[in-house]
Amino acid sequence: MSFMSSQNRRTLIAVFITLLVVCEMVVYVATTPRPREQFFQLYVLGAKHMAADYYPNNDTDIRIGEPVTWYLGVTDNMGSVQLISIRVKIANQTIKPPDDMQALESPAPVVTEYMRFIQDNETWETPLVWSISDAVSVAGSTRILTLLINNETYQLQDCSAINGHNFRLIFELWTYQTHNDTFQFGWVTNSEHRVAWLQVWFNMTSARPAGG
Amino acid sequence: MLMVAGLIATQPLAVRSQTVGSLEPRLGQTLVTLHQAESAGATPSEIEALVALLNKALELDNEALKLNAPDQAQRRIGLLAQVEQILTTVENRTTELIAVASQRSFNDRVLTYVGGAIAAVLGTISYAFTVSFYRKYRIKRTFQMRVTRK
Repeated sequence: MSFMSSQNRRTLIAVFITLLVVCEMVVYVATTPRPREQFFQLYVLGAKHMAADYYPNNDTDIRIGEPVTWYLGVTDNMGSVQLISIRVKIANQTIKPPDDMQALESPAPVVTEYMRFIQDNETWETPLVWSISDAVSVAGSTRILTLLINNETYQLQDCSAINGHNFRLIFELWTYQTHNDTFQFGWVTNSEHRVAWLQVWFNMTSARPAGG
Repeated sequence: MLMVAGLIATQPLAVRSQTVGSLEPRLGQTLVTLHQAESAGATPSEIEALVALLNKALELDNEALKLNAPDQAQRRIGLLAQVEQILTTVENRTTELIAVASQRSFNDRVLTYVGGAIAAVLGTISYAFTVSFYRKYRIKRTFQMRVTRK
């Protein structure tokens, strides 16, 4: 006498196969990582760690030797470790900023850059304390000669603006591309080239007269 | 006067920029192996230790770039040797991590799918018992039925 009838056995086998398929599908769905949006966040905060107080005494006119404190940060949401570079550029009103549509960098010259490896979901932040060490005024045009950024001096050449108005520091996020071993402005996600950049304007109207 | 100032102000700005280190291709290779380790299932804490070492290498390389004076050559060579040592350490640890993480991921995956199969077996046994009890209940009910005249 058999344990169960052949019809019952067939039913049980069918139930087992159905449950097996369902359980393994649940396991597959639970263990397969879902595709998520890949992006970076780039930010500059003021002296009090907020999106305010970017200038000493809220005066956009920076004086020689006056320290300006900002916080520069990047968050990696790319799903993997990334090698990034934040390029700090100085520009006047006429130099083009980066082009979001074409994903083109600004032609402004690089003052300095900060390279860093960052993990997925990690935010890297660094204080950026800068001041104008030297600037001269020539025929109504103010030229910044040296910048001090985080206690390092950077010599600038021909960095000028009319009456010292509308200088700006541009921060561009570059990422290392392993397929061609170079840094690229922005990043590529889903075959789309995206960029992140910021700029903060300032004036410098108290330069010393040339030859003075 | 204004035109002259305007011409000065609108000309391209030239800045003596900081030189980027010559480490880039090496860092790129390390980044590729780190991505392989992540794909193999390395945990964030395992990757964090390697990333900290790489950032240390970047700092030392940056420091070495600033040592341009002839009397600083020895220190520069020392720093670059440290950078080289750190990168070699990271590469070796990453290679080990890839092997360990992929084995661990494979074991975890197998265990998870086996868990699914066990769940299916338990579900089938539960079904069999439920059906069996239901049938016994129906039979019992059948024998307990009373025939009444209407």
